[in-house]
Amino acid sequence: MKHFRLKKGLTALLLAGAAFNAAPVAAQNSDTLVIARSMDVNSLDPARAFCDTCQFYLTAVYETLVTLDADNKTLKPNLAESWDVNENFTEFTFHLKDATFADGSPVEASDVVWTFERLKNLKASPSFLMDGLTSAEAVDAKTVKFTVDAPNSEFLNKVSAPYTGIINAEVAEANGAIAGDTAAEADKSEPWFLANSAGSGPFMLASYSPEAELRLARNDSYWGTEPAFSEVVVTQIQDAVSQAQALETGQVDIAMQIDPDTAQSIRSGDVTTEVVPSYNFLYIGFIPGAKDMADVLTPEVRQALALAIDYDGMLDFTVGGNGAKQAAPIPNGFPGTAGLTPRAQDIEKAKQMLADAGQSDLKLVAGYPNDNVYGVDFNIMMQKVQQDFAAVGVELELKPLTWAVWRDELGAGEWPVTAIYYAPDYYGSGQYVAYFGMIDGFPWTNRASLGKGELVVNPAEADLYAKALASSGAASEEAYTEIGQAMMDDAIILPLVSPNLVLAYRNDIEGVRYSACCNLPLAEISRK
Amino acid sequence: MLAYIVRRLISIPFLLLGVASVSFLLSQMTKGDPLAALVPERMMSNPEIVEAVKAEWGLDKPLPVRYVRYLGNLIQGDLGTSFSTRRPVATDIAERLPATLELVIAAMIIGTALGLCLGLLSARFRGSAFDSLARIFALIGSSLPIFWSGLILLYLLSVRIALVPGTGRLPPRVQPPPTHTGLYTIDALIAGDISLFWQALAHLALPAFVLGWAVTGIITRLVRSSLIEGLGQDYARTARAKGAPERVVLIGHALPNAMIPLLTILGFTFAYLITGAVLTEAIFSWPGIGSYAVRAAASLDYPAIGGVTIVGSVAFLLANLLTDIAYAWANPRIKVH
Repeated sequence: MKHFRLKKGLTALLLAGAAFNAAPVAAQNSDTLVIARSMDVNSLDPARAFCDTCQFYLTAVYETLVTLDADNKTLKPNLAESWDVNENFTEFTFHLKDATFADGSPVEASDVVWTFERLKNLKASPSFLMDGLTSAEAVDAKTVKFTVDAPNSEFLNKVSAPYTGIINAEVAEANGAIAGDTAAEADKSEPWFLANSAGSGPFMLASYSPEAELRLARNDSYWGTEPAFSEVVVTQIQDAVSQAQALETGQVDIAMQIDPDTAQSIRSGDVTTEVVPSYNFLYIGFIPGAKDMADVLTPEVRQALALAIDYDGMLDFTVGGNGAKQAAPIPNGFPGTAGLTPRAQDIEKAKQMLADAGQSDLKLVAGYPNDNVYGVDFNIMMQKVQQDFAAVGVELELKPLTWAVWRDELGAGEWPVTAIYYAPDYYGSGQYVAYFGMIDGFPWTNRASLGKGELVVNPAEADLYAKALASSGAASEEAYTEIGQAMMDDAIILPLVSPNLVLAYRNDIEGVRYSACCNLPLAEISRK
Repeated sequence: MLAYIVRRLISIPFLLLGVASVSFLLSQMTKGDPLAALVPERMMSNPEIVEAVKAEWGLDKPLPVRYVRYLGNLIQGDLGTSFSTRRPVATDIAERLPATLELVIAAMIIGTALGLCLGLLSARFRGSAFDSLARIFALIGSSLPIFWSGLILLYLLSVRIALVPGTGRLPPRVQPPPTHTGLYTIDALIAGDISLFWQALAHLALPAFVLGWAVTGIITRLVRSSLIEGLGQDYARTARAKGAPERVVLIGHALPNAMIPLLTILGFTFAYLITGAVLTEAIFSWPGIGSYAVRAAASLDYPAIGGVTIVGSVAFLLANLLTDIAYAWANPRIKVH
């Protein structure tokens, strides 16, 4: 009896062991694409979403009028087959293709008008893309015309941002979405968008569980080329090391947030890693409007501090050399940046300038988010700044903060130095001027001046910005180069590192690329 | 006994109301931008967006108004909508709590079983090589940081030798079983899907062991010292004098007496782990309530903070009640009034 029990027990144990040992459902030949990512979703409603995960989700589910080609520069047709722009860049007319939404209904000009009006009126995070829009008009069922209040040669680029993806107006309205003037208060559709989708893209939302899993199902009635996978699962894996492990074991096909250091530790021969330049960058910003700083952080002092930084050393220190220096707060490769030369360290000149300004024994405080973004640890980056400032006699106290506290103290002018990052919403340099330009009322002007605009406003930039938006091609690029140079002279924003991006995927996966507008175009990915 | 339990249960809602009030006021008084989870960093200097969001979420109202509204909703069972997930907090908790319960229950079973066995054997063979090894094992379990032991074990057992699967509750390609309890192992059995049950169990094994190992450490040491103390007591001597073998003295006499401190620790540990298994959840991508709590606190997600506080309080109150009842069961001399 005892012997029998033992045998039975052993068999059960072996069976259990075999089950434990069983590899996860084989990745090979699977019709499901699995992506590891630490998700940062704030919403799945195109007009409310604003995050890196949102960019590729929206690209897969909703479609924009135009989109960015694989060269990350050229705009190509998407829902619009062609477009006309008037001479002074104030009127944009799009001619729509014969596309259909996932429910089979046609994508019409009225849907486009409804989508853009809602995006503007919701007053949500991506609403800025519709700034200056004065009218949206459906000329006929397949033609839509937009008018903006001032020349804006970047409007076409803006409508390639995934947040402008066209929504099936009828379906969305039936579920509480509102496009009119009252949208900000009356639109109650956000919960619906977290569980459903109403786009014309190659995929549809299947299910979403915050910080756990985002599941997309192929849109079987997709009007364009059918995507290779019937299902895409984005699974929450918090850190780079765990993502790499999941990739090595075949649990996932793609890992989106592996830093170059972790990539080097991957031993599996079944994994491909490609290091590509990104358009993301981290920077420090000076706040002359902070308490008691108006007479301290003068343009000369800011220039001196900019010269104190060892930019080459910064790359080694933060990303082990896997990144690029960046001159102005416009990413390398964007219009106007070719003519800009990144700063170089000049300690002697920096010391001299500080002495001339009577600030040889300067003490500053830097408040920044205690976070790791794009593989860069803010603490490490700021320790390098601290070290470099010390070399010119400036003492920098570091104050790492949670995001909530950082935001609170930033607005209160608690400290004069901060650090933060930026990732593009679309391909175009105008978004950077609109954010970093020292133009009255612009975001970073408000941040740096804290109500004392005269400390930072650079009137030349407003004119140059208007000039850039009123022209295209070489003339526009030239204006952006001049603005870039002017922003470097302001020395309010000092880009420190543009970290490279690691594309890490199983060898049987192809079509993985980094897009400046859309992050990771899912419909282009297939299994060999 | 029954009257006692009913009395304790009736007091819970009142205690919770107090806890909710303190949690609401403390989180509102915490320094930080309450819009951190609602308005992205780049939009925080846009007054139009900030005002629209404040109005939408009621943050433009004075604190007393918000407090009264919060309590009013709470009494009706509405925990509010999370700033981060934009879903009802109750939905979030209902989705995440079972994941944590499954992990913590499994960890407690592993930790208690292992801790009891090791403690018993250590006490029985006090001073032997086994005793030393068991104590070292226990010490490592309770002192190794989980983020280290978890990552190392995951690397060795999953990546290198593929003994256990990777992170998460199930392989990403697999659909979870239909929800009955939210515990995937149980739901898979209810659905009669044995293969799914094994997959869920395989995914549960390593995180539960890592968390259970930490519990093992505490229990082994506690059981060992209580038993050694018991073995030197008069009742043990009397038992021996009456001819009872050492095994009987240990299990029949000393162990029941060691149960009282053990029950206290078990109850407390269980309640603590409901919201405290954060690191295990993070390393094993386990979508539980601990990681939800940390994210809520870091981003000042007031409604989520309130919801998690209530869950944590319920866990402690129920664990205390169950521990008190278990005392009476373990030691008939203790009466509950």
